[in-house]
Amino acid sequence: MTLDDYWRELVTASLLGTDRRDPPIPPPGPLADVVADAVRADPAARMLAAVGATSAARRAGFSPGPPATVLQPPAADGRPWCRPAAVATWRRIVAEWPVLEDEWVLTVLERGLRVPPDALVELLARHRNDAIRRARVALAGGPMAAWLVDHVPELAAATGRAAPADAVTSLPDLPVPPELAELLTADAHTFARRLAPGFGAGAYGAPHRAVLVNLLARCRPAVLLDAADALDATHVGLALALADLARLRHRMLVELGVAG
Amino acid sequence: MAANERWSVEQVAAVAPSPRAVAAAEPLTTPARWAALGADERALWGRCRGSGAEPYDTMVDHAEVAWRCSCPSRKLPCKHALALLLLWARGGVPDGAAPESVAAWVAGRDRRAGRAGGRDRSPAGGGQGGAGTEPDPTPDEAPLPDRDDLDRSRDDRVARMMEGLTELDRWLEDRLRTGLADPALARYATWDQLAARLVDARAGALANRVRRLAGLVGGGPDWHAEVLAELGVLHLIAQAGRRLPALPGPLADAVAAASGWQVRQADVLAGVPDTDDWFVAGRSDTREDRIEVRRIWLRGAATGRWGMLLSFAAYRQSLDESWTVGTVVRADLHRYPGGALRALVGEREPDPLPLRDPPGMTLADASDAIGAAIAAEPWLERYPAIVTAAPAVADGRWVLTDHTGTLPLADGTQARATVLGASGGRPVTLTIEWSPWGVRPLALHLPDRALDVGPRADPSFVGAA
Repeated sequence: MTLDDYWRELVTASLLGTDRRDPPIPPPGPLADVVADAVRADPAARMLAAVGATSAARRAGFSPGPPATVLQPPAADGRPWCRPAAVATWRRIVAEWPVLEDEWVLTVLERGLRVPPDALVELLARHRNDAIRRARVALAGGPMAAWLVDHVPELAAATGRAAPADAVTSLPDLPVPPELAELLTADAHTFARRLAPGFGAGAYGAPHRAVLVNLLARCRPAVLLDAADALDATHVGLALALADLARLRHRMLVELGVAG
Repeated sequence: MAANERWSVEQVAAVAPSPRAVAAAEPLTTPARWAALGADERALWGRCRGSGAEPYDTMVDHAEVAWRCSCPSRKLPCKHALALLLLWARGGVPDGAAPESVAAWVAGRDRRAGRAGGRDRSPAGGGQGGAGTEPDPTPDEAPLPDRDDLDRSRDDRVARMMEGLTELDRWLEDRLRTGLADPALARYATWDQLAARLVDARAGALANRVRRLAGLVGGGPDWHAEVLAELGVLHLIAQAGRRLPALPGPLADAVAAASGWQVRQADVLAGVPDTDDWFVAGRSDTREDRIEVRRIWLRGAATGRWGMLLSFAAYRQSLDESWTVGTVVRADLHRYPGGALRALVGEREPDPLPLRDPPGMTLADASDAIGAAIAAEPWLERYPAIVTAAPAVADGRWVLTDHTGTLPLADGTQARATVLGASGGRPVTLTIEWSPWGVRPLALHLPDRALDVGPRADPSFVGAA
């Protein structure tokens, strides 16, 4: 009788309890000696000693199983990885300014980069239900994304709906009111001069937050740093938050090799 | 004890509270650990570099047999005083003029003892006569608790723990008598009442273990076997705990820790540090009752020994975020008694050292190392290893594999998927944490960076760091 056989007998006896079944007799050897050393009249006490000794022996004596066949690797992907700093910025985007995530993924695609495995797993899990974003992640992940989904079904798309090709490759429009729309293409000086004074004058408040966020998420990258400085100078809470958004977007684009 | 007469090592051992105290003092008997050493016909003094920012000021009245030290130890004499005496007994303390603080201490002792005509080396003058082996309370410091009170308190605590362990063993026997199919086991109250009793018995670690065990009931198709194995381990701890005085020192310390015997952090930090370049090999967060527990696994570059740092966070509190997986930090680690894995950090270099490739073991070697650790402490619930292996599937289960074998991976989809993604199915070096339910990947060590994939605390529970 092996130790595993004896353990199975102990488990069976323990289900019924020693009131209904006598403890099994340990196989001859060190285990039997240890249990025999514990002189106990009560069957439950004897069995407890045997369970303790067997548990310890099985845990300490654990050994690897036979070698397994290694997996077929995914097809090669020659694209360079995103820098770790870019992945860290993506995590911050997801946590603080998710409005920037579409642009992050599309920029990764445009720059011919691929997403590192840790971020790819999170992206696949995060976008299981959105067909368009899911398709972008699949492109950014390349052969690795399909390979991962094959091996980890929990990462598969929750929807079988196909995404329109143009929607996958283009940045979605965000609503910006007509009075702010001209700033989308303005130069840095005009942008800062037109936007910042509105905070001091009380023209922008909480109701405008969403459209202002959209404006900073879609304005020209060249205006971001000047806009952030101008917004900071207002010392208004909402403007300070928008300055943070502008700086984060600028950093994102620099890390991905778009802005200088 | 006559003044000017140097003690023998045997005389030093005779005043030690235990032979282990002398052993603990031995590593401190090198002059390199001391500064401002000196001796005269009445006293010895020196500053011993310990784990704190400031060295410990130690002084010994070798003529009237008394000691004083700024360390937090309650042992009298502490290991620093013993080390100073040993160093002096071996001729390692130079003669000199007592500093003002030592002179004042000696004079204060003489004054309180009513010794007239004694040496007046302090600004306040002094007396002479009398002797003592107790510390000398001075007006600017609180008196230490009476030693008899401390002993009584400790004896009372030991008695309560022994009662708790006896009750635990009786409860375990009852479970085997009625069987694991008993519906009472499915009620949390059955376990919680035992845990509460163990908390009363000051066996908090066992109480936590019992509550974790309750969570296994009905948790999977093999829960009976898993619960039975844990009941067996609890029995081992209860039996070992009841025989604590008969066990060898390190094993007794390990059993005491597994039972929940509390050790003051100050006492741990007063121990001799394990100084090394520590590779931050992995991080693992687990929720235990209403507390989030973070384990940081460190591996010494010089010794290859493991150390574990624990931090705790209740709701909206923060866990320790100061250790970045994959970095190397030079630090003093003070281990809990018995050479435990668990340690506290003393001095620590602020800047991480350059990353070096961690050595990955084969799965067979890792199994041997883990098995040896479990053989020494069968109640271990987790143990780390750094291995080089590839993810694979064997018998429908995810495993790590290399040419020496396979180890099953515990549940955890995201970590498993990240290991897959980072390895592409090829061998990769990673830190794993063994548990009775499989090994869990904690970190991947890639050529250019480390990926921390260990289980992470729910951010809605713990506060921002």
